[in-house]
Amino acid sequence: MTERLQNIARKIGGPLYSNRRLIEYYWQRTQRNKLAVLGLSFIAFLILLALIGPFFTLDPTLVNFEENNLPPVGFATEESVYNIYTDEFTTTEISGTWKHPLGTDSKGRDMLAMIISGARISLQVGLIATGIAITLGTIIGVLSAYLGGWADNILMRFTDVMMTFPFFLLLVLIVFIFGPSLALIVLVIGITGWTGTARLLRSEALSLRTRDFVTAAKALGASDGRVIFGHLIPNVASLIIVIATLSIPGVILAEAALSFIGLGDPTTTSWGIILNSGQQSLDTAWWIAVEPGIMLFLTVLAFNFLGDGLRDAFDPKSNI
Amino acid sequence: MNNTILGVSHLKTYFFTRRGVVKAVDGIDFELKRGECLCLVGESGCGKTVTALSILGLIDSPPGRIIDGEVRYNNLDLVKCSPKQLRRIRGKEIAIIFQDAQSALNPVFTIGDQIVEQIRLHLGMKYTEARDKAMTLLKEMGIPSVERAMSYYPHQLSGGMKQRAMIAMSLSCDPQVLIADEPTTAVDVTIKAQILDIFHELKAKRQMSLIFITHDLGVVAEIGDRAVVIYGGKVVEMAPVSKIIGNPKHPYTAGLIDCLPDISKTTDRLASIPGTTPNPIELPQGCPFHPRCHKAMEICSQQQPPEVRISEGHEVSCHLYQ
Amino acid sequence: MGKSWLRDYIIKRLIYAVIIAWGIVTITFVLVRVGPSSPADKYLANMAASGQDVSQITTAIEARYGVDKPIFEQYADYMVNLFQWDWGWSFSTSMPVIDLIKTHWIYSFQLILLSSLFAAFLGILIGIYSAVKQYTKIDYTATFLSFIGISIPNFWLGVMLILLFSVKLGLFKAYYDTTLPLFSLENLKALVLPVITLGTGMLAGYVRYTRSAMLDNLRKGFVTTARAKGLPERTVIGKHAFRNAILPLFTIIMFDLGSIVFGGAYLTEIVFGIPGLGQISFNAIFADDYPVVVAVTLIGTFLILMINLITDVAYTYLDPRIRYD
Repeated sequence: MTERLQNIARKIGGPLYSNRRLIEYYWQRTQRNKLAVLGLSFIAFLILLALIGPFFTLDPTLVNFEENNLPPVGFATEESVYNIYTDEFTTTEISGTWKHPLGTDSKGRDMLAMIISGARISLQVGLIATGIAITLGTIIGVLSAYLGGWADNILMRFTDVMMTFPFFLLLVLIVFIFGPSLALIVLVIGITGWTGTARLLRSEALSLRTRDFVTAAKALGASDGRVIFGHLIPNVASLIIVIATLSIPGVILAEAALSFIGLGDPTTTSWGIILNSGQQSLDTAWWIAVEPGIMLFLTVLAFNFLGDGLRDAFDPKSNI
Repeated sequence: MNNTILGVSHLKTYFFTRRGVVKAVDGIDFELKRGECLCLVGESGCGKTVTALSILGLIDSPPGRIIDGEVRYNNLDLVKCSPKQLRRIRGKEIAIIFQDAQSALNPVFTIGDQIVEQIRLHLGMKYTEARDKAMTLLKEMGIPSVERAMSYYPHQLSGGMKQRAMIAMSLSCDPQVLIADEPTTAVDVTIKAQILDIFHELKAKRQMSLIFITHDLGVVAEIGDRAVVIYGGKVVEMAPVSKIIGNPKHPYTAGLIDCLPDISKTTDRLASIPGTTPNPIELPQGCPFHPRCHKAMEICSQQQPPEVRISEGHEVSCHLYQ
Repeated sequence: MGKSWLRDYIIKRLIYAVIIAWGIVTITFVLVRVGPSSPADKYLANMAASGQDVSQITTAIEARYGVDKPIFEQYADYMVNLFQWDWGWSFSTSMPVIDLIKTHWIYSFQLILLSSLFAAFLGILIGIYSAVKQYTKIDYTATFLSFIGISIPNFWLGVMLILLFSVKLGLFKAYYDTTLPLFSLENLKALVLPVITLGTGMLAGYVRYTRSAMLDNLRKGFVTTARAKGLPERTVIGKHAFRNAILPLFTIIMFDLGSIVFGGAYLTEIVFGIPGLGQISFNAIFADDYPVVVAVTLIGTFLILMINLITDVAYTYLDPRIRYD
C-alpha cells in the first residue's frame, strides 16, 4: 500500500520528487528572490503559529466581560464611566497588559488567541479548498486536452458556464441557502474554483500533447492513463505548484469576505468574523478591526511574493 | 578622402551583463565611400549587427553602451551628438533595414501607415502627398496593386513582399546611406535573388551608398564592392571584393572561402574551420582567431595583431604579415 | 476590411450566451427551491410571533409563490415571469423586485464607473512609466506597491480608511445620501473613500499588467524599427509599443472587471453603506428575501456574459490578425 502511494507521489511530483538536483536547482533560483524567501518565512511562521500556538495561549472562546475592550500591549485607551450618583464622568486610562498582548474584544476574549485560531482556519481553508480546486482543475484540464474532439468541446463549454457565474455571488447564494458551515464553505470554494486552473492546464497540456516524448511513449505502448499520469502531469507539475500558490490567497480572502459579511461559520473564529465585530467598535476598540486585517494582508502578501518568485524560478526564460 | 560618406573609427560597444562584460564590438574601423557597397562579413555573433546598430545609436542602453569610438557623418560624430540631431539623421540620412521583416514591422498598423508616418515626420508633407510618395515607392519595389497593398497589415503579405515593403519604407526619405542587416538570410532562394536585384538597382539608379551585412560570401561576391571581415568584434581583413575572394590574406578569410563548396570538384568532406566562435564574454587574449588558426604562432596568443597594409585598399590584422 | 465572419461569430456567441444564461437560471432555481427553508418562512414566523392568524396568509403566500403547484409548473411559471419582467416580490421592502433594482442599480454603476476610471487611468500611466524606467528605483517602488495593492483585502482597506479618515480625523462622511443628486459635491465627497477602496486593488492589478505587457513589447523588433525611423521616443513608446501592449491588457482588464467588480463592489457597498445592488442583496439575505438575492445574481451573471462577448468582439478590432472562424 505504501509503495503504491510512493509511486503515485513520485509520478505526480514527477521531476521534482525523484530528482534531487532539480529540486536544488529550482530552490537556488527561488532563493535569489528575496521577497519570495520573505514570503515563505512568513508562511512557515504562520503554520507554526497555527500548530503550536493554541498550546501557549488562552482559550479564544473564553468570554470575560470584566476584561473587555483592553488595548494591546503598549497602547492605552481612555474609558469614561458615568457615575449616576455624582453626575460626573470619571475617566480612567486603561493600558494593555502582557496577559492579553493583543488586547481583548468587546466580550473580553483574548485577541492573540483568536488571531491564532483564525490562522488555523485560514490555513485550513486555503490548503484544502485550493487542493480540491487544483485537483479538479488539473484532471479536467489535462483530460480535456488529451482527449480532444467532442469531449474537449463539452468540457470546455462546461468550464465556460462555470466561469461565467460570478464566483462570489454564487458563494453567497449557496451559503445563504444551505447555512454557514466551514465544511460547506470549503467545499463550495473548492468546487467553484477549478475553472481557472482547468483553462491554464488545458492549454499547457495541449502544447505538450504534440511533443515528441508523448508520441514516443505511445509508440512504446503506453496506455492513456500512463501517458497522462506518467508523462503529462509530471511536466505540468511546476505550473500546478505556481497556480496553487497563487490561488491560496484568493481562497483565504473569499472565506474572510464571507465571514466578514456575516455568512461565516459562527462556531469558528475566523479573521473575517473578528473583523466584522471590529466594525462596531471602530471608535472605542480600533485594534479589533486592525489586527485580523493585518494578518490577512500579510498572509496574502506572503503567498503572492512566494508564488511570483516560484513562477520566475520555474520559467526558463526569466533571467534570474 | 572626401569621397567618404561615413567613417567608423575605434568603435567599441560593450554589454554589461550580470554574467560579465560582452565585448560585442571591440575596436572596429572602416570607411564607406560614396556610392559603394561595403559588405560587413562574418559568422553569427561576431558583432556585425551590433556595429550597424551602434552607428545609429540603437543599442539598448542598459545593458549596452558605446564606450569608445567615433562615427563620422557629415562633420557630425554620431556617437557624441545630441539625441535630437541623431533623430534627424535616422530614417532621413541614414536608414537601416533589418533581417526579419515580420518582426521589424508593427503588426497593428498597415504598411501604408508605417511608411507615411516616416515620410511625414521627416519631409513634412501633407497626408495625401505622403501617400502618393509611398505608393510610388511600393511600385518601384515591385509590389503589385499598390492601392490595396497600402491598407494591408504586415501579416497579410508574403515574406518577399514584407521585405520589399521594409526596403521601400527605408528609402522613403531618400537617405544617403542604407544599412542592410542580412536582408537575404531569412528568405528562400528565389526571394533572395529578387532582393539582390533590388539592391543592384539601388546601386545603379540611385547611386546608393550601402553597408550590406551578411555571412554569405556568395552574396558578397555578387553585390559587394569592398568587404570588411569581422571576427570576435574586430576587423581582421578589409579589401576590395575581388582581392578578398581571389587573394585572401587572413587565415580566417581564407578559411571562409575554402568552406564554400565548389560544384566542379569532388570531395569526400566539406571543408570547415575547426573549433567554434569564441564566447563574447571570454574572448581569447591576443588575436581572437588564434585558437582556431592553423598558422598560429606564439605571438598570436599574446599580442593584438597590428593592421598591415598589403596593397592599395587591402589591409589585414595578422601577425603573419609584420 | 470586411468582417463578414464577425456577424456569424456574434450570432453564435449570443446563442451560447442564451444557453448559458438559461443553464444558470435553472441552476439558481433548483438551488432555491431545493434549499431547506422556503421564502415565506421568516415572514410567517414573524407574523406568528406577533400573534396573527397564520393559516390564511400561509395559503395566500404559497399561492403567490406558486409553491403549491408541482415543481415543473413552478419552473415554467418562473421562466415565463422572468421574461415578462416579473421577478417576484420583495418581502423585506414591499415592492416588486424589478422596481427595487431599478432604483438602486445606478449607485452600483456610479461606484464601479468611477473606480474603474480611476484605476485604469492611473494604473496604465504608472505601468507604462514603470516599464520604460525598468530597473530604476521608481520601477522597484511601483512593483512593490502594486504587490501591496493586490494583497490588501479590499473590505479591510475600506474599514481602515473609515477608521483613519472618518473616525479619527473626521474628514469624510462615512455614509451616502440618496436624497441628494447623484453627482452632487456631497455625494462625490462621500464616494472618495469607496472609490479608493475599490480602485486600489484594480489599480495595482493594472499597473502590473501594463508593465508586463509593455516590457514584452519594448523588446520587440518593431520598436527598434520605429526608433530607426527617427521617431521621437514618446511616439515610439506611446504609439508603437503601447498600441501592441493594449492587446493582452484589454483582455485581462475586461476579464478582471467582471470578476473583481462583483466581489469587490459588493463588499465596498456593504462597508460604506452605498445603496447599490450589492447592498440591497446583502440586506435581502438577512431578511431571507430570496427573490432579490436571486435577481441580483442573475443580473451579475448576465452582465459578465455581455462583458465577455463585447470584449471578444472589440478585440477583433484591436488586433487585425485575429479571426474567429
